[in-house]
Amino acid sequence: MICLIILIVFYLVGIFGPVVAGMFGISPYTFDSNAISDLGGKPYGAFGGISLAHPLGVEWGTGRDIFAQLLFGLRISLIISTTATLLTVTIGVLIGIIAGYAGGITDSLLGRLMDLILAFPFLLIVLALSGVLTQRLTDLGVPEGNVSRVLYLILVMSVFGWPYLARIVRGQVLSLREREFVEAAVSMGASRRRILFTEILPNLWAPILVYATLTLPSYIGLEAALSFLNVGVLPPDTTFGAMLANSVTYFNVVPTYLFIPGTVLVILVVSFNLFGDSLRDALDPKGGH
Amino acid sequence: MAAYVVRRVVMMVGLLFVLTVAVFFLFTLLPGDPARLTCGKACSPQIIEANRHRLGYDQPILTQYEEFLSGLVVGRTYSADSPDPIVCNAPCLGYSFTRHEQVLTLITAAAPTTFWLATGAFIMWISAGISLGIFAALNHGRWPDRLVMGISLVGYSLPSFFIGLVLIFFVILKLNWLPFPAYVSPFDNPFQFLQTMILPWIVLAVLNTAFYMRLTRNQVLETFNEDFVRTARAKGLPERTVVIKHALRAGLTPLVTAAGMDLAALLGGAIITESIFSLPGLGALAVSSVLESDLPLITGITLVTSAIIIVANLVVDLLYAVIDPRVRLA
Amino acid sequence: MERRMDKGWLRALALGAVAALALSACSSSTPTASQAPGSTTQPTTAPTAGPKAGGTVYLLTQADQFDQVDPQRSYTGEDLAFFSSTIYRSLEAYTYSPDNPTASKLTPDLATDLGTSTDGAKTWSFTLRDGVTFQDGSPITCADIAYGVSRTFATDVINQGPTYAIQDLNIPQDAKGNSQYPGPYKATAAQQALFDAAVTCSADGKTITFHLSKPVADFNYTVTLGFSPVPKAADTGESYGVAKPPMASGPYEVQSYTTGKGGKMILVRNPNWSQASDPYRHPYPDQWEVDFGLDPQVIDQRLIQSTGTDQTAISYAGMQPQNLATVFTDPTTTLPAFAGRAVSAYDIYTRYLWINVQKVPNLLIREAMAAALDRSAMKKNLGGDFYGDYADGAVKPNIGADYAPTGLWTTLLGEAIPDTGDPAYAKTLIAKSGVAAPTITYNYPDTPVRGKEAAIIQASLQAAGFKVTLAPLPSGSYYSTVFDPTKAGDLGYGGWGADWPNASTVVPDLFTQAGGWDLSQVDDSAFNAEVQAAAAETDRAKQSTDWQALNTETMKNVWLIPTFFGLSQDLVGTKLATVAGANGALYLWGPYGSKPYGDFYVKQ
Repeated sequence: MICLIILIVFYLVGIFGPVVAGMFGISPYTFDSNAISDLGGKPYGAFGGISLAHPLGVEWGTGRDIFAQLLFGLRISLIISTTATLLTVTIGVLIGIIAGYAGGITDSLLGRLMDLILAFPFLLIVLALSGVLTQRLTDLGVPEGNVSRVLYLILVMSVFGWPYLARIVRGQVLSLREREFVEAAVSMGASRRRILFTEILPNLWAPILVYATLTLPSYIGLEAALSFLNVGVLPPDTTFGAMLANSVTYFNVVPTYLFIPGTVLVILVVSFNLFGDSLRDALDPKGGH
Repeated sequence: MAAYVVRRVVMMVGLLFVLTVAVFFLFTLLPGDPARLTCGKACSPQIIEANRHRLGYDQPILTQYEEFLSGLVVGRTYSADSPDPIVCNAPCLGYSFTRHEQVLTLITAAAPTTFWLATGAFIMWISAGISLGIFAALNHGRWPDRLVMGISLVGYSLPSFFIGLVLIFFVILKLNWLPFPAYVSPFDNPFQFLQTMILPWIVLAVLNTAFYMRLTRNQVLETFNEDFVRTARAKGLPERTVVIKHALRAGLTPLVTAAGMDLAALLGGAIITESIFSLPGLGALAVSSVLESDLPLITGITLVTSAIIIVANLVVDLLYAVIDPRVRLA
Repeated sequence: MERRMDKGWLRALALGAVAALALSACSSSTPTASQAPGSTTQPTTAPTAGPKAGGTVYLLTQADQFDQVDPQRSYTGEDLAFFSSTIYRSLEAYTYSPDNPTASKLTPDLATDLGTSTDGAKTWSFTLRDGVTFQDGSPITCADIAYGVSRTFATDVINQGPTYAIQDLNIPQDAKGNSQYPGPYKATAAQQALFDAAVTCSADGKTITFHLSKPVADFNYTVTLGFSPVPKAADTGESYGVAKPPMASGPYEVQSYTTGKGGKMILVRNPNWSQASDPYRHPYPDQWEVDFGLDPQVIDQRLIQSTGTDQTAISYAGMQPQNLATVFTDPTTTLPAFAGRAVSAYDIYTRYLWINVQKVPNLLIREAMAAALDRSAMKKNLGGDFYGDYADGAVKPNIGADYAPTGLWTTLLGEAIPDTGDPAYAKTLIAKSGVAAPTITYNYPDTPVRGKEAAIIQASLQAAGFKVTLAPLPSGSYYSTVFDPTKAGDLGYGGWGADWPNASTVVPDLFTQAGGWDLSQVDDSAFNAEVQAAAAETDRAKQSTDWQALNTETMKNVWLIPTFFGLSQDLVGTKLATVAGANGALYLWGPYGSKPYGDFYVKQ
């Protein structure tokens, strides 16, 4: 349960990141020209300019504080991954139940839809369409800039992510449908809605919860990968992936640019996965994969 | 069986058709006016319109789609009414006006790299994943099991691009164990090929290795509890025979089919791996095409990769039906 | 001309490349007897002990392919320099020299002299040398040059190249200003006759005469851009030079060309080229190999280490900022270990932020934007002093006499503006303007470096009270998008370099609609008239003062905010030397702001 504590700390830091940054007197939006050289924009001092003023150093060329970027980046990563997970689970559960319970042509059509979505080269589509779809969101009234970019990431992750859960849920529903207590409810003339929500759904919460805790870290990783590919928030905001992408130019000279955000990212994801594993073991002692 | 095959193939063709529709119309949303893109300095509205006509973008969108589809079957000719038409042979996926090449030619040139990348990574994760998974299962509950599971956990928590960068940093930049990656065909220079590909293979294989360790371990553990394995044990067969002949064979069959799907899905992971290591494959070509706003090329690559996944899906399903006859009835 | 745009954030990840665009061009001449290296295959006549024929030179580049191979479409400084040194001959060429004024002088190439102008510079004639041939041995005639020029008019096929032929030749235009000649592919006989009247050949096919619609005093410079011969029979239209090798006229021919990562272009000696017909070039290397799709970081490392074939390698695009300290102590000093094979010098490009005057019509607001801008932070982000010097206008000092300081940052804005910007003063300008500070949409190519720059621009303008919205565009379609008036924002990143050493290829290009690079959407009829008068001025000294005045006028109007006069840092392998450089040292070739490709030889 150490991992649970770590996760809580991460969330607290994410929520109160600006306060923490304030305590250190740093901000990711401040360009500290005094921390970098005129000649090549290289930070003064070792390890990317680690100093009292900048505990983890500053960015090459701009002098922005690395620690502050981490704090604010964590916040954005958690917002995106948490919201996307919630949305994915909602869509996945709904469609999974519908497909499993309705059966027949509905099931078949939904199945093909899932096949189609899973066949798309997700990364390529997300890369190619990021500009135009973000613009569409803005046209629809979403505030432009990072609000629409974050929303875009949440939406694409959810749209391409739900089929996995929907398949699991559908399978569960199919087997639950045959169980005595459901058949009993049907024979007693219970409404379809009642059966779904009071008989079937409560039996699904364990696998859904496990799936959600394992999806969240994968979304953190995915968000990092996407912003590594430059599909992400606009500067001056940043995320883990963007920081890592930035590090590539300089890591031969300043390795901390690579290892600091990378290590934090890995700790975060490992904690989530550990937590998900223990949750699964607790809920389903037989295990599974 | 024949009926099942026919049904699935028909379904696949339908899906492919829907796919062309989805891809084609999705990408008409793309920013940047293709007609403007090919027009340089001193671009007048007349030149833009002339370009638009030449590229076929002056047609209604449905006509464009029709041309695209018929191009796949019988080929097409761009700006047929000019004395300087561009002929694109069937199956024509389009013509890249940025690269002055047929899209299919570009894809065929890039495909072998991705094929080698995926194949190498596949071999790596299947062999490492399965052997470590079995090792863990045989030592169930003891420290080797926990170690393997720990590695697996970290393995699938590591973002692949981070692993790639760390490997480049240490293996290439700091330790100089390997030269800078420079792709060559394995038939031209097998040694340099291996030197170049070893890190990309690792990067691409890590996630699936971690996953297959777990999958294998759990599958094998499950079969240990099945009746036929218990019977074999009860008969007093040597443990070795029990494990290899009975437990593994039964436990790994589902793995093999899952592997087929994962191999197809690798095309996505190839984008990041190829970009980090500058490999001339489909993933890198896709990224370039996005950067260059090369609409025909993006459309072509998306279509080809999706089609590969759909076909792989079908092959796996059919294979599975052969292995497990109950599926056909489902 | 344009500088190749960095098309890659992704590559940028591996590369951190600086996105830049510019254009370059060139100038002139001198025919100092370039040392002839002997015939193509026999280097026996090498004039000094140093240069010897032989070896392969490798060009390493991040790009997946050349932007264009077609001689009528090639329009980036580096490509023009490389192709004109190797496979394409033109009527005139520039001299190889580290000295900028010398290098900017024209030297005859296919022509026997620098051309003859009559009729007040409205008619230009060039006579071809004897014995000039294509790679198949067929003679290069006036008809081949005329055909090449005519291709420029087929703007739907031969696009993205220089368009001077369309602007200058005396061919009627329709009401909208489009040429009535549509190029050789779809011209009717009557339309072809229009072209044939403007470009005429003598009976023996040795003399080509261009009839211009207006006096062009420096037309012999113009013919270095897009006036190369193409035999009609070899023309394959859209894919010319790519699907099949182009018809070479220079000392090398294309043996093979494959694009993408791992792609290569191989140039081998052209057996039908003869030194006698081409005293200008001295082709020492036996072969050229262009390696595409490499990581710029890797390119730098390979050149720094310079082992194996990298000893004769050249980085096509120049060095990455983070590696500069390895090679240079400061922008003017090379570390001893790299002496002779590294150079840091002005390229031909000016970087600026265009202001869309249609959307930001208030001069005081534009002045406020310029005053608020923190150019110091921008410079540090781009590599600090290595990136270049603060610019005070679109015209760059290394163009020569056409440049004079504009005083933009000292007086034109009302008071001296520090490099870090003066938000307080900007606020007073906004207050004076009588309008509220508008919301500014800033366009830039979507690369990491430009993204950070955008954040700096945003922060410094916001300090003065502007609200700034960032609108990144895919780098590959950046310019085509911002040239679309319906899609361009209020402010954006831009770059330009003179096509040849005359501000006639800067001021009209950037500030008149006819010029074709008018990102600021300026269309001022009084200014247009002044520009036309200056372009037609045949007294070069008078013309220079005209351009100086006009350059200052553009800055008074703040049609754009000039940011940097760019520097370029280049590094080549240890076994490469130049003929003209001091002791064989690498130098930057002024006219194209490029490496002097035709001047390299492999040290044996």
